Amino acid sequence: MEKPKVKKVNWKKELRLAPGYIILLLWVLFTFVLLGWVFGASLSTTPEIFKGNALKFESGLHFENYAKAWSGSNVSEFFVNSLVYATISCVVLILVCAPAAYVLSRYTFKLNKLIQTGFASAMGVPAVMVILPLFSMIASMGILNNVTLNRITLVLLYIGINVPYTTIFLMTFFSNISRTYEEAAAIDGCPPMKTFWKIMFPMAQTGLVTVTIFNFINVWNEYFLSLIFASSDKLRSVAVGLYGMINSMKYTGDWAGMFAAVVIVFLPTFILYIFLSEKIIGGVTGGIKG
Amino acid sequence: MKKNKPMIILFLTPAVLFFLVVFLYPILRTILMSFFHITSITDGIGEWTFRGLSNYINLFQTSLFRQSCWNLFRIWLYGGIIVLSLSLLFGVILTSGIRFKKVFRAIIYLPNIVSAVALATMWLQYVYSPKFGLLKSFFTALHLDSLAKIQWLDNDHKFYALLFAYCFGMVGYHMLIWCSGIERISPEYYEAATIDGAGKFAQFRFITRPLLKGVFKTNVTMWTVTSMAFFVWSQLFSTVTADTQTIVPTSYLYIKMFGAGNTVTDRDAGVSAAIGVILALVVVLVFTACNKLIKDDDLEF
Repeated sequence: MEKPKVKKVNWKKELRLAPGYIILLLWVLFTFVLLGWVFGASLSTTPEIFKGNALKFESGLHFENYAKAWSGSNVSEFFVNSLVYATISCVVLILVCAPAAYVLSRYTFKLNKLIQTGFASAMGVPAVMVILPLFSMIASMGILNNVTLNRITLVLLYIGINVPYTTIFLMTFFSNISRTYEEAAAIDGCPPMKTFWKIMFPMAQTGLVTVTIFNFINVWNEYFLSLIFASSDKLRSVAVGLYGMINSMKYTGDWAGMFAAVVIVFLPTFILYIFLSEKIIGGVTGGIKG
Repeated sequence: MKKNKPMIILFLTPAVLFFLVVFLYPILRTILMSFFHITSITDGIGEWTFRGLSNYINLFQTSLFRQSCWNLFRIWLYGGIIVLSLSLLFGVILTSGIRFKKVFRAIIYLPNIVSAVALATMWLQYVYSPKFGLLKSFFTALHLDSLAKIQWLDNDHKFYALLFAYCFGMVGYHMLIWCSGIERISPEYYEAATIDGAGKFAQFRFITRPLLKGVFKTNVTMWTVTSMAFFVWSQLFSTVTADTQTIVPTSYLYIKMFGAGNTVTDRDAGVSAAIGVILALVVVLVFTACNKLIKDDDLEF
């Protein structure tokens, strides 16, 4: 956070901006009501929610909704799944894409332009264009019947889907680092590959962290791949798990528990966002050329 | 820099392999599949029957598919108008020198990091709830009983309920793209305009708008890419498998790929592939049209 600058309030200017403030405040208010109510309801009880008294907490705060959702409705399983998928994918993505991005941004060779164009176009391809052959390949190899193999395949898919975006994003970071570092290293007799891992990789840290946050949020919230390629409940990610839970909730009628599950699902990305919102916002437009 | 072939190959191979296996090969095979009749998705090429263009022709003669395209088109067009204009408005306000800019920006972007399933559930189970919903309590408090009585999720209102909920989550992302574009315009233009006596609206019309053409193009392209992948929201807002109010091509594809229990039709992976190709073509088409129609290289800034 930046230190707030002490500036005298220019009331004439603020008044001129008043309509802008009002529009933004209304939108922000709505966002707060939406999230705040859901959070409140998750600590309430189903009968109170239905009476419209979700936020009065007449019978106190019901933290047991979270305990129930966590253990009773498989949320813990989905949560751990997504955590594992997101963590492994993020690490492998960096190890795969950072070297590729470096080479693409630094060296001129025959296929360079072609690979860049391929990656850039892949970012615009709808997932439905790739899932059919992948599914037939994976299903005919018998992977869907084996829990461990299925898990590995799912992670590999998450990695593959995010490779183009991660590479393109990191390319801009590497091309912004001055070449003098490599030249100095070369003069000192450091081989190029060592130069990359020892000097360039640490220097691109800001970019690596930003793209990892994005990949984490993407994989955490991913729905389509998990829906199609996770053959059993044991393998589902939070998004698909939550969807199944909401459907079954229609029969059990545990609204408070459902809102608790919604909060559990959105909490990890929310916490990341509270601490890293500036980085995330700066990174959104970093990967796109205007 | 000196060429270093072994290093280039070693560093690129993993990424390129992923690209070939997850993108290039599947894309080519999907295009091929779209010309065949394929009963089961796991069938090898030997079991496919060549159909030519009939998968495409049949699709456009199926009323459910046409309905799904019409829904997606409305989401793209109406949603695009709503999201791009709202996000532009927010972008302009945020860059006009207001206080707490970063806080506002962070809160408006917040819905984009929330899982779509969680966000859609909040809308479905809270905002639109006929029992304790936000809209119901809001209109009741204002004594607008006729509005309070509306069932937002019945067949007459469901599509627009879906559209607005979806748009709410998308505004933040496009706002950031607008902001980055506006911030790149030199403040000197505005200073000069202010000295010449141009008001905020005149400044927007004669400076911001012409200089934002390129950013507009980016926004339309990104909006189209995300729209064509529209699926989760439709699935969450559908009460039955083939809900005519909320079905989109991807849900139709999903039904065609895995079957839908008893309803709709037989499975055909070839038809699914054709739908994928159509959606991808739309992205290519919009992208090309944008590049042809909007030239941003005539302005240097």
